[in-house]
Amino acid sequence: MRPGAEPKDGDIVRAVLAGERERYAVLVERYRDRYARYAARMLGSADAAEDAVQDAFVRAFDQLAQCKEPDNFVGWFFLILRNRCFAERRRSRAEAPLEAADSVAAADRTDGGAETAERRRALQLALMELTPDQREVFVLKHVEGLSYGQIAERLSTSIPSLKMRMHRAYDRLREQLRDHT
Amino acid sequence: MSERDFHPLVKQLLDGELTIADLPAELRAEGEEALRLLTGVDRSPVELPAVTRRVMQTLASRPAPAVPAWKRVMRPREIRLRIRPWVLAPALAIAAALILLIWPATPARPAPLVTVRFVLVAPDAREVSLAGTFNQWDAHATPLVRSGSTGVWTATLTLPAGQHQYAFVVDGARWVPDPGAPAVDDGFGRRNSVLTL
Repeated sequence: MRPGAEPKDGDIVRAVLAGERERYAVLVERYRDRYARYAARMLGSADAAEDAVQDAFVRAFDQLAQCKEPDNFVGWFFLILRNRCFAERRRSRAEAPLEAADSVAAADRTDGGAETAERRRALQLALMELTPDQREVFVLKHVEGLSYGQIAERLSTSIPSLKMRMHRAYDRLREQLRDHT
Repeated sequence: MSERDFHPLVKQLLDGELTIADLPAELRAEGEEALRLLTGVDRSPVELPAVTRRVMQTLASRPAPAVPAWKRVMRPREIRLRIRPWVLAPALAIAAALILLIWPATPARPAPLVTVRFVLVAPDAREVSLAGTFNQWDAHATPLVRSGSTGVWTATLTLPAGQHQYAFVVDGARWVPDPGAPAVDDGFGRRNSVLTL
């Protein structure tokens, strides 16, 4: 490794498996915020996202030996976080989503104005009424800015299948946001 | 498609595949409504600075990741060898001696022996012998014995299994192939009999 060069994910994974567990902190630092927004929009709450990201990193540590491509740790980690988000939504289905959406939108009230905050709050509430599959494709495309091709690769699915989910999501969001658009 | 579903062209607008100008005039209002929907998308970053500390605190009380036994065995390891010449020579000598002790030379297993009787009917011959690959074609090495007055000459030999070529030598000069065996050309104009044991 060159002096000052960032160690590769694969090198860190192998070092952790060899007993240097403190080096796992490098991976956590590197990726903790990358999918925090995805988790927050999927779960409707920054607090829930924090718990999900933390749990996903702990679970990834426990299962690190099963990471088949250590150099693509982040892709593997994303799938663990995704499963955690889906499981969390199933578990907390009965909880009122309003408070969660409020907590997501609250951070923007100071710098985005009341109107922006209200639009965001309304959309987040509407997103929570979608199925997790529909919400996920909307978040990845319109929040994370990925193309259909990139999403298909990440989720190992087809573009037509993603478009079908997305187009159903558009219709449901229109229904939910009838009074806001 | 229900009354409240977006028109497919409007969905393409939301997907970024069309612009509002691409829509027919009657769909532009619906297109603008759809685009207002996207103005609520919240792309502000979410930062979780406390996660690193919380994760590492949790890991401190957990066992190390379980590495399957086969992965531990198969994991590549770096092996460094430092060779000292004054150690290497005796080590090689000991290794050679061990190889000789443990792996003694084993002679090739000899071919099994087969006893075979050669017979030639030559009533007028004064002497008959046998020359072949088994006696380096020596015309005097293997004489046959005449049996009584019938003119039958015989010799009994014990030969290793395999293929042999031979001929009878009558009266020390005339080379005669065995009439009872297949023959091959010897490359010099004569025929040699072939015996496969």
